[in-house]
Amino acid sequence: MTSQSDNSLADNRLVCATRVLRDQCARGIAPYITAGDGGLACTLEVLHALDRGGAHCVELGLPFSDPIADGPVLQAASTRALAAGTSLTGTLEMLRAFRQAGGRVPIALMSYANPLMRHGLSETALRVAQAGADALIVPDIPLEEGALLEQACAEAALCPIFFAAPTSNDDRIIQAGARSRGFLYVVGRVGVTGGGTTFDSETQTFLARARALSAAPIAVGFGIATAADVRAAVEHADLAIVGTALVRHLHACGSNPGERAAAASAFLAELQTGLS
Amino acid sequence: MTDGARGPWFGEYGGAFAPETLMASLAELEQAWCSVGQSAEFGAELAGLLRDYAGRPTPMTHARRLSREVGCEVWLKREDLLHTGAHKLNNALGQALLAKQMGKTRILAETGAGQHGVATATACALLGLECVIYMGSVDAARQRPNLLRMELLGARVELVEHGQQTLKDAINEALRAWVSDPEAHYLLGSALGPHPFPALVAGFQQVIGQEARQQILAQAGELPDTVVACVGGGSNAIGIFRGFVDDEGVELVGVEAGGAGIASGQHAARFQGGVPGVLHGCRTWLLQDGDGQILPTHSVSAGLDYPAVGPEHAELLALGRAKYDTCDDDVALSAFDSLARLEGIIPALESSHALGWVIEHGAELQGRRVVINLSGRGDKDLDSVFALRGKEGQ
Repeated sequence: MTSQSDNSLADNRLVCATRVLRDQCARGIAPYITAGDGGLACTLEVLHALDRGGAHCVELGLPFSDPIADGPVLQAASTRALAAGTSLTGTLEMLRAFRQAGGRVPIALMSYANPLMRHGLSETALRVAQAGADALIVPDIPLEEGALLEQACAEAALCPIFFAAPTSNDDRIIQAGARSRGFLYVVGRVGVTGGGTTFDSETQTFLARARALSAAPIAVGFGIATAADVRAAVEHADLAIVGTALVRHLHACGSNPGERAAAASAFLAELQTGLS
Repeated sequence: MTDGARGPWFGEYGGAFAPETLMASLAELEQAWCSVGQSAEFGAELAGLLRDYAGRPTPMTHARRLSREVGCEVWLKREDLLHTGAHKLNNALGQALLAKQMGKTRILAETGAGQHGVATATACALLGLECVIYMGSVDAARQRPNLLRMELLGARVELVEHGQQTLKDAINEALRAWVSDPEAHYLLGSALGPHPFPALVAGFQQVIGQEARQQILAQAGELPDTVVACVGGGSNAIGIFRGFVDDEGVELVGVEAGGAGIASGQHAARFQGGVPGVLHGCRTWLLQDGDGQILPTHSVSAGLDYPAVGPEHAELLALGRAKYDTCDDDVALSAFDSLARLEGIIPALESSHALGWVIEHGAELQGRRVVINLSGRGDKDLDSVFALRGKEGQ
């Protein structure tokens, strides 16, 4: 690959982090949290806790009113975050504060097409990058509409991240892997976020196929909740994404930022036992 | 060129903004629509069902007493007389038949006013397909007769309890159900959503316009000056517009729900109060805030109470080929009464918006020939209309 975007991504935190994982034949965990769930002050403390705890990447969800790829837990988190007044501007201010305080973990901002395109995807991608994010994940921008995402990310030196699903044919997985930077997001199970993924032989065969076909490292998500799930997921994946289980756990801990941060650390430490 | 071959874009609008899990199903649907769906056998089978089961062609009625009242020549395309009481059956039969040809055994669908849900449940009963309908709780309460009809027809109705509990939330939930069950066919009810749905649904609804054009020529001897239809997602409107879009002299008017008035913020007028964005799989005009969050909508009519509009309408507006205006709740309710009393036809509240617009603009339509797509009948609305009257009477 010789494209300009690859050169400009040489220092991208996510690209570096996943390259290191591949080089060391290591595996990592990428927790997902919804920005503003419990308030952005909580999100900031939780980000620091996950960074200190050794997360390899954090997927930070910018809430949207109509999240069609999300199950009930993440829908409710989005609703709470929006009710608390969470906006793109507020989320990016929080992210900037995280970086200014020395936060180093790669951040992949996840949202749906509409909030990211509201003021132009390119313009928004620049703001997202300037605030300190490293990648954009947009579940309702598939390969067919992907040029839009690739162009915006190239201009902003962000990683565009595409998806592969069990319903994707080989050609689509190859394309998605070739067009993603940092990692390819592999949906472990047919369905929305949350619920349980059974890492049976069918799932493992799919993950092995995705790993073999993808030029980019792969992160597997959807339904990974426990250390045992992590262990099964990283048999073929470079990263295990844990969202619903963490969001549910943090919500149950109340809205004190310190308590949430402690809960996030403990939850991550427990998940990491699945890596060893 | 087939509709499928037209591609995913209507100018700058449309596209396929869907999760990866669904892309294989969308491609499979497009493929089936472009092959089986364009075959002579399929066309003949669907035409037979539309004629012998659904009751096509629906009549074109010259509304003489209403015409005298308004001062222009009003004709009604009588989709209210189609089996199940609305135009929705054209699309439901077409897609269900296509799904059956594709080997699908289970159908998922959303519904707002309940007309699409009833049409889908009907088509599934006829063709022996399993049927699950997603309906917002608020809509289920205001369109209870349709809820009961769906259940009677053998469908399972899943009530959607989150969000505004109306059509938008029902589509969210139906899409999530499809993401979890991509082997099922999602029978989307309006000319929106990810490619190929907007073109597919319009393709099944254009029979309205094809018939209407022939009928008005036969009965009035000339083309109309103006064709008017209500626009929720926009399937009845695109269905009748397609019959006249190449007749440059025919003005096309889409009527959105003005609710309590545009200034009140309580409406579903996407072209008046919205900006382009992406919702439910396509780029189109949306009611949204400055952060791209979708705004609540309001209309007395459940079928128009939706924050997005089909992308083909967005293109027709951009091309200047159609114009879009609004009709407020009170004007639509008054038109509902007028048609009942002047013509002996009880219109759906959705269709009452098209009627209301014509009645309200009678002065500028003087002497013109106007075809209104009477997209559905109003039996389903009696409870909510009388409940509103009861409130006003207090």
